[in-house]
Amino acid sequence: MTSELITTRTGAAPTRPPGNLLSRRNPTIKLALLFIVSLVLMFIFDPITPLVLYLLALGAIAATARIPVKAFVLAHIPFLAFALGLLIVNALSRPGDVLWQAGALRVTTEGLLVGAALALRTLVIGVLSIGFVLSTDGVALMTSLHQHARLGSRLTYAVLAGYRMLEDLPREWQTIRHAHAVRVPLRANGKPPRSLRQYGRAAFALLVLSIRKGERMAQSLESRGLGLTPRSTWRRIPLTRTDWAMAAAVLTVLGVVVGLSALLGVLRGYQVLG
Amino acid sequence: MRFPRRQDAVLTDVSVRLAPGEQLIVVGASGSGKSTLLQTITGVIPHSVVASLGGSVRLGRTFTADTSVVELSRLVGVVAQDPSSSVCLPDVEQELALPLENRCIDPALISARIDRALDAVQARMLRHRSTAQLSGGEGQRIALAATLIAEPAVLLLDEPTSMLDAAGLGAVRRAIRSAVDTYRPAVVLVEHRIDEFAGTGGIAGLPPRALVLGEAGTVIADGPTVDVLAQHGPSLNRNGCWLPLETELLAVTGCSGGLGEPAVRAGIRSLGEPVRALGRRQNFGRNVLTATDLTIDRGGGACVRAPSGTATPVLAGVSLTLRGGEIVAVLGGNGAGKTSLLLTLAGLSRPSAGTVTGARPGMIFQNAEHQFVEHTVRAEIRHGLTLDDDELRAILQRHRLTHLAEQSPFRLSGGEKRRLSVAAMLAHDRPVLLADEPTFGLDRRDTIATLAALGRAADAGCSILFSSHDLRTVATLADRVIVLADRTVIADGPVFEVLRLNEVLNRAGLVLPPLIRHLLEEFSSDAQIRRVLGQLDAAVTTGEGTK
Repeated sequence: MTSELITTRTGAAPTRPPGNLLSRRNPTIKLALLFIVSLVLMFIFDPITPLVLYLLALGAIAATARIPVKAFVLAHIPFLAFALGLLIVNALSRPGDVLWQAGALRVTTEGLLVGAALALRTLVIGVLSIGFVLSTDGVALMTSLHQHARLGSRLTYAVLAGYRMLEDLPREWQTIRHAHAVRVPLRANGKPPRSLRQYGRAAFALLVLSIRKGERMAQSLESRGLGLTPRSTWRRIPLTRTDWAMAAAVLTVLGVVVGLSALLGVLRGYQVLG
Repeated sequence: MRFPRRQDAVLTDVSVRLAPGEQLIVVGASGSGKSTLLQTITGVIPHSVVASLGGSVRLGRTFTADTSVVELSRLVGVVAQDPSSSVCLPDVEQELALPLENRCIDPALISARIDRALDAVQARMLRHRSTAQLSGGEGQRIALAATLIAEPAVLLLDEPTSMLDAAGLGAVRRAIRSAVDTYRPAVVLVEHRIDEFAGTGGIAGLPPRALVLGEAGTVIADGPTVDVLAQHGPSLNRNGCWLPLETELLAVTGCSGGLGEPAVRAGIRSLGEPVRALGRRQNFGRNVLTATDLTIDRGGGACVRAPSGTATPVLAGVSLTLRGGEIVAVLGGNGAGKTSLLLTLAGLSRPSAGTVTGARPGMIFQNAEHQFVEHTVRAEIRHGLTLDDDELRAILQRHRLTHLAEQSPFRLSGGEKRRLSVAAMLAHDRPVLLADEPTFGLDRRDTIATLAALGRAADAGCSILFSSHDLRTVATLADRVIVLADRTVIADGPVFEVLRLNEVLNRAGLVLPPLIRHLLEEFSSDAQIRRVLGQLDAAVTTGEGTK
């Protein structure tokens, strides 16, 4: 029971599993790299460059993050679905050389290329996000942002307190649903009705209770002196040379791939959109 | 440190001066402004809550009105009522480190201080837990530790023990005392369960100074606790305050000294006379609810998937029957599965084995707010029913809700919320009413009123099953008790027979309150015990007249 609860808490256990290189890296650096790579990708419109980046990122994360294959694949599903959508919409709707036609449907070369580029871009951002989320403890991220990215202490701890409230919500919701179900007139089959109205009522009760609780939590945090300056930090999230080395490595690989792709004439920018 | 102040309606002309190391208990009926007084000291009033504050509160050289709540936190530590909202961070360690970090304590010293604060509340084993896993009582101890750890000059405790069992209560009392001995903070305590807080030491277990607040927040008395309680005990008792047992007995028998005193014991004996037959019927109706061989998993039920086979069940092999008009109490320590059992009997949560047969029961929940669905009291009672105006009026009147009919259920006081939740459920006329800790957090007057409402429903033929941790409540109301321990039912029988089984009580971690222990020794007849408890309750003006 205990171990089960700890693992659902995104690994906030005091000791992290050994050998998990990525999860030991500084969360702020990881978040910054995710942001930089995504930003660079915004300007790339050929399919080859993001494909290479995707394969490299996939390999690097699989090698360093020890994410179970099943979890990794499942986490891909939303990104794959979105990518497929982008591919189909672009392939069918962009003007250009017609590659294939059937009635009103026609696929253009340009559409296919731009669609593939956008889809692969989605996958690169997707795989990096998966690696980030599955290797980063939410609490450590907030603490690190506070320490290394100058996020204010009030905001940091407000988010952490919100996280704590979120943990309680399912139980609270369940209790409210139970309490409401007692007085509901049953349907003919003896079961309580599941109407939108019932959910609405339960949601309202949850909202009222949560707002009050949030208010009380805010008062508690203030009474503990949150917002006083100067403050100290007990368990600093380390920012080591390895973290900087990882940042350098990622940026170098990004630079080399984009550079090579430009050199080979594969790289395409906004001009593709015509 | 002083706070002479004036505020209309809630508090009027309250002036108090506390020296370092002085401990004050604030006593008063619900709504006398006890919590408001604490809020003016923390600075929440006037900074966060809109209220007009006349007069001033000074802490050392700091005036609260001129200083923000956060700056005041350097001087003031608060333990708030509700532990679920006074523990704010995901991990226990972080929770305790936060006040120290905010005061810029050298990080190298923090770990040792966390250990010391946890030792003080006897909760060292909780250090590496995540706060979502804490029980109510554990959360309350962590909240106290997080307040003590910063060693504030003023310590404000707003019902710091509402969710603690006897052992946890002792730990809290010792932690406060040792804090006072080591660094001499001024302590202001607001506590509902004064008798339990006082512990076996009686009045000596309470802070040495007492402040009594009357209606409209005026100071009725301020002085040594012993004197104040001796002088104002009877009126406080009438007004529905929980009091230390010896004060309550003084108020009723007119003799001081508590159970140890022959005169008091004689007084109690005379309360048991004349012996009358038990007011309630002893022959109950037919079986209305039967549970056979239930196995209950935690988190069972429609919405949450139960990890089948992986976890040990909360309860196994539970069989019980309820007869019409019978009042049954379910007893058991924290986590014994009382709530899970009630939810299963109510049909809200599916047992993993066994069956429940009988008509659909009603249920009232520990937190009445969870039940509220409508925006007015009137609509709340009508919810799920078709009542004509006369019926509605009768219900409102019976539960003293008429003057609140147009109010929002969420804006009522604790006692009013409970009355409404009971009224709204009873209106459904179900043959069985299940109640989860129906008197939790209520003052004495509301407790008595709630028990009276349940008793009336039983007299009308409804069968009642309620859980409670308060054995006095159980002894006052129940005909029969079911004791849960070691994942099953360990006793099921007439209330005073089971309460005499020391082995059963020990196994379930239940401790008889001194009054009940005395009554069980003193009287052989159940009717007399009931009569004494009834007479003690009758000394409280409930506003609905004696039954």
